[in-house]
Amino acid sequence: MSDFEPDILTFCCNWCSYAGADLAGVSRLQYPTNNRIIRVMCSSRVEPIHILEALKEGTDGILVTGCHIGDCHYIEGNIHTDERMKEIVDALEHLGLKDRLRLEWVSAAEGKKFQETITDFVEKIRALGPNPLKEKAKEE
Amino acid sequence: MVNVGDMLVGYATNEDVRKRGASGGLVTAVLAAALEKGLVENVVVMKHINEFEAVPIITDDVDEVLASTGSLHSVPVNLAKYAMGRKVAMPAKPCDAQAVIEQAKRGMIDLDNTYVVGLNCGGSMHPVTTKKMLVEMYDIDPEDVVGEEIEKGKLIFKTKNGEEMAIAIDELEEAGFGRRESCRYCTLKIPVNADLACGNWGVIGDKAGSATFCQVMNDKGVKLLDNAIEAGRIEVEPASDKAIAIRAKVNDVMVNLGNTLEKEIFPEIPDEERMQYYMEPMADCIDCGACKEVCPVCACGEDSKCTMFHSLVDNYKMSMYHMVRLLHLSDSCIACGQCSDVCPSDIPITLLQSSFAIPSQRKREYTPGMNVDDVPPFFEVILK
Repeated sequence: MSDFEPDILTFCCNWCSYAGADLAGVSRLQYPTNNRIIRVMCSSRVEPIHILEALKEGTDGILVTGCHIGDCHYIEGNIHTDERMKEIVDALEHLGLKDRLRLEWVSAAEGKKFQETITDFVEKIRALGPNPLKEKAKEE
Repeated sequence: MVNVGDMLVGYATNEDVRKRGASGGLVTAVLAAALEKGLVENVVVMKHINEFEAVPIITDDVDEVLASTGSLHSVPVNLAKYAMGRKVAMPAKPCDAQAVIEQAKRGMIDLDNTYVVGLNCGGSMHPVTTKKMLVEMYDIDPEDVVGEEIEKGKLIFKTKNGEEMAIAIDELEEAGFGRRESCRYCTLKIPVNADLACGNWGVIGDKAGSATFCQVMNDKGVKLLDNAIEAGRIEVEPASDKAIAIRAKVNDVMVNLGNTLEKEIFPEIPDEERMQYYMEPMADCIDCGACKEVCPVCACGEDSKCTMFHSLVDNYKMSMYHMVRLLHLSDSCIACGQCSDVCPSDIPITLLQSSFAIPSQRKREYTPGMNVDDVPPFFEVILK
């Protein structure tokens, strides 16, 4: 498993987490290059279906980040995210993929937290090994 | 004048209906009276073709309602979708009533205009399986069957020349016949979620076989019964304590059996095999979409996420269509068994949906289709 490099997909909300990622960048904080960031206007834009689709396409891990509860630019968007994620976590639990999804609140000032989250998540996924659905996709 | 919560025993005044009805023809008479007196504009009934075939029809003809009397255990059709957008009265198995309430929660059915006459249900059978079973287990030609009944754990078939054959349901199910799989682990046998809960359980003494036990569940049930009494179509009297006790006992036996079978039907699956458990059977899917078409709790219509995000071009082993449906029905699946019945590839979809939905529903202490005021867990976000 030593040469396995996980593919991580990160959803960042436009107002906090993306700015947080930006701050990590301008502060020159080093973090693994395995992740690809998709900017969404609000973390509640991420539908369960997006996560399923990503996993089906062979992504090894998915990180959803948004503003802290109470700080949402759209007032209650991230509360909806929280509720949605509960549903999808249930679903992934049934499929045995629960550990491949993580929800994290990262504010615009938390460049350091963004770096730590990504590093930690990449290590976790590296230990888990490749997404079983990816293997399937390759077979065909 | 009846009240909410009354336990009654009643029968149709029309001798023909009473004789042909499975147990006194009360349900038929109530539906006919509702139509006659203008309580509803239409009635949904099953039009009898033969013992194994019936089609749901929406009718405003009283004669057609009266002609529909008689029970059909082997035609499992969920009627909820036929009630949409109409002022309608309908007979309903417990799962039909559940589906009606789930549709009402999603704004597809106006409950004020829908009268649901619930029927006790110990389980239904698939017509194809039944025909096969008749030949192999009972040694009867399916064409000769004129009636069937489930009584005391036995399945009884009546033939043209007056013979009756009874075999225990346990025995049939061991041989791979009998009730549909979803009916075996169902634990809602008396439709307490409908407006009236009718059935032959608890009808004793000289009335056995020619009267219906009826529990009034809500104001709409009162309206239905009062209306039918006023129209002179039915006669009711209070049920004896003994009758009520017997009905409760029959229910307990059925529910216990359901609980036992549930443990047999859903084995514990280790985490690492879960993916395979869902993926293997679904690999046979030919994307016909029939399971969504018949699903009585699906309220999405034509433009739905399950079909929108799914494409054959993807050619993955796990179909996105089923993934979305698993997720989407996790709070609303009532395990009616329709999807398994219609699947041309014989995928046990109901079994997969249930093994996904039941733990999710239990975790949130939510039972779909019981109370219209219970909000589905993913419907609203509670802001603190």
